Amino acid sequence: MLKRSLGEKIFNIFNLLGMFLFTLIIVIPVLFVFRNSFELSETATATLRLWPEDFSLVFYGMVVKDETVYRPLFNSVIVTIVGTPLTLLINALGAYTMSKRELPGKDFFAYYMVIIPMLIGGGAIPSFLLMRALGLIDTLWVLIIPSLASGWNMTLLRNYYWSIPNELTESARIDGASEMTIFVKIILPLSKPVLSALGLLSGLGFWNIFYAAMIYIRTPRKWTFPVKIRETVMKNEGNDKLWEEMMVAAGFDPTELLINQSGLGGAMMVVSMLPVLIVYPFLQKYFAGGIMVGSVKG
Amino acid sequence: MDESSLRIYKKNEKKIFTKVNIMIYLMIVPGLILYYIFRYVTMPGIMIAFQEFTTGGFKYWCGFENFDKLFGLRAFWQAFRNTWVFIGLQYLFIKPSPIILALLLNEVRIMWFKKTVQTVSTLPSFLTWVVVSGIFIQLLSPSTGYVNVIIALLGGERIYFLGKPQLFPWLLTGIRIWKGVGYSSIIYLASLGGVDPELYEAAVIDGATRWQQTMYITLPGIKNTVVVLLIFSFSGIMGGLFEPVFTLTDGNALLDETAMVLDVYIYNTGIRQGKFSMSTTTGLFNSIISTILMLSANWASKYLTEDGRTII
Repeated sequence: MLKRSLGEKIFNIFNLLGMFLFTLIIVIPVLFVFRNSFELSETATATLRLWPEDFSLVFYGMVVKDETVYRPLFNSVIVTIVGTPLTLLINALGAYTMSKRELPGKDFFAYYMVIIPMLIGGGAIPSFLLMRALGLIDTLWVLIIPSLASGWNMTLLRNYYWSIPNELTESARIDGASEMTIFVKIILPLSKPVLSALGLLSGLGFWNIFYAAMIYIRTPRKWTFPVKIRETVMKNEGNDKLWEEMMVAAGFDPTELLINQSGLGGAMMVVSMLPVLIVYPFLQKYFAGGIMVGSVKG
Repeated sequence: MDESSLRIYKKNEKKIFTKVNIMIYLMIVPGLILYYIFRYVTMPGIMIAFQEFTTGGFKYWCGFENFDKLFGLRAFWQAFRNTWVFIGLQYLFIKPSPIILALLLNEVRIMWFKKTVQTVSTLPSFLTWVVVSGIFIQLLSPSTGYVNVIIALLGGERIYFLGKPQLFPWLLTGIRIWKGVGYSSIIYLASLGGVDPELYEAAVIDGATRWQQTMYITLPGIKNTVVVLLIFSFSGIMGGLFEPVFTLTDGNALLDETAMVLDVYIYNTGIRQGKFSMSTTTGLFNSIISTILMLSANWASKYLTEDGRTII
C-alpha cells in the first residue's frame, strides 16, 4: 500500500521545493528589513547579504532618544493597554445578554449591532463631524472609544458561551447564585481561551491603528506609531536633503560616512513587529485549537 | 439541594421586567450606547450627499446635483474603474491562492515541515499595512532593494517598481497575497482535515492515483467551505483597499492612473480637500453598490450552500 509511483515521487519533491521557496519568499522581505535596521553604511546595503556588514544599533538609539519617534510609540502602547481590556469587558458583557435564548426581544441585538450597521452607514465625513462635535479630535480617546463595542465579537463570544454546558449554570442557580455571580464565577473563567484569543487580536488591532489616527489626529506628538513609521519610511525614500538634515541633527557628518537611509525606518518597523512576534506563538495555539475557525457566522 | 430557585428562574425567563432579566439587559447597555453614538447618530449624515455642505456646515438642499457633478468627473470614473480592476484581480488571484496553498500543504507528509511553512506564512497577516508596505518599499527600492540588486547583478537595468502605474496593480496583488495567503489557508486546511479518511482508503484500494484522489475526493470535500467563504466575501467587496493602496502609493499622483480607488478618492476629496458633499456622495454611491451586491449574494447563498446558510 505504501508503494508510490514515480510520478508521485517527482510531485512530492517539487512540492517540497515549492513550499520551501514559498517560505523563503515570506521570510526574506522581513529579514531584509531586520538587516537594514542594523546596517550603518549606505554602500553596504546594496548587496544580497542577510546580515549587516557595518553592525550598529544607532537607529534603535534614535527610536529611543528622538522624541518625535518615542512619543508616537508610547501613544500606541497607551492605546493598546487601555483599549484591549475595555473591549473585552464590553463585549464579554454584551455577549452574555445575547446568549440568553429565551430572553424577550433577543433578536433585536443582532439586528441592531450586526445587520443594520452592515447595510447602512454614514461614512467618513459624518463620522468626522461627530468626532469633532464630541471634542474627540486630536485626543487618543478617538482611537479607543468608537471601536470598543463590536457586534461581531459579541456574536463570537456568544457562540462560545453557548458551548458551555447548561448543567453548570443551572446548578449555580439552584444554589441561588445571581446572574452577575454566574457570569463572573462560571462563564468568564470557562471562556478564558476565547477571551485570550480575542484579547490578543484586538490588542494587535489597537497596536496597528493607522487609518483613524491619520484622520482624527492632527498633532504629530499625538500620532500613533504606524503613522510615524509611514512618515519616516516615505520621507527617506528619495529625499536626500531631509535625510541629511536628520543625520546632522543626530550628530553624524554626512561627508564622512554615507549613512544607510532605510535604517531608521527599518528599526521602527522591527520595533512595531516585535509585539506581534511575541504574542504570535499564543495566537498560533488558539488558531490550531480551532477557536476562531468556526466563527464565520453565528 | 433546593431546586425551587431554578424553577422560579425558568418560569420568569420569558418575562421582560423581572429582577433577573433587567440585570441581564443592563449588561449589553454599554454596547448599545456605543453603537448608538458611533453608528446610528452618523447615519442621517448620509443626507449630506443631497446637500451643499462645506467645511463651514450646511448651506442648502440641492437634490441630486452632487451626483450629476460626480458622474461628470473623470477622476471619479478612473477611481471606479480601478476599484473594479482590483476586485477582478482579487477574485482571479488573491482568493484562489489560499486554496492552492492548502491543497499543496495537505500533500506534504513531513509534519514538522508542514507546520513550519504554516507558522511562517501566517505571520504577515498580523502586521499592519504600514509595515507591510514599508517592507516592500524598501525591498523594491531602486538603489538598495534586494530585487534591484539581483537585477543589477544579472546585468539588467534597475527598475523603479513603485513609480510605474502599469506595474502597480500586479505589485499590489502580489503583496496582498504575501500578506494574506497563509492566514486564509487555515480554514481550508481545517476543512481538508475534515474529509473522511475512509474515502481515501477506499480510493487507494480501487487504484486511484493521488491526482484522482484530489479531483474526486479532496475538492468535492471542501466545495462547501469554498462556496460559503466566496459568498460571504461579497459583503465587503468594495472596501478594504484604503490601507494597502494608501500606504503603498503615499498619494503619489503619478500612480493615480491605476492606483486611485474609491476608498482613497473619498478620503482625498473629503478629509484632505474639505469637499464634504462630494466625498459623502461618493461614499453613498459606493455603499449602494456594495449593499446591492451583498443582498444578491445573500439571496444566492440560500440556493448555493449545502445547508442554506445566508449572510444575514
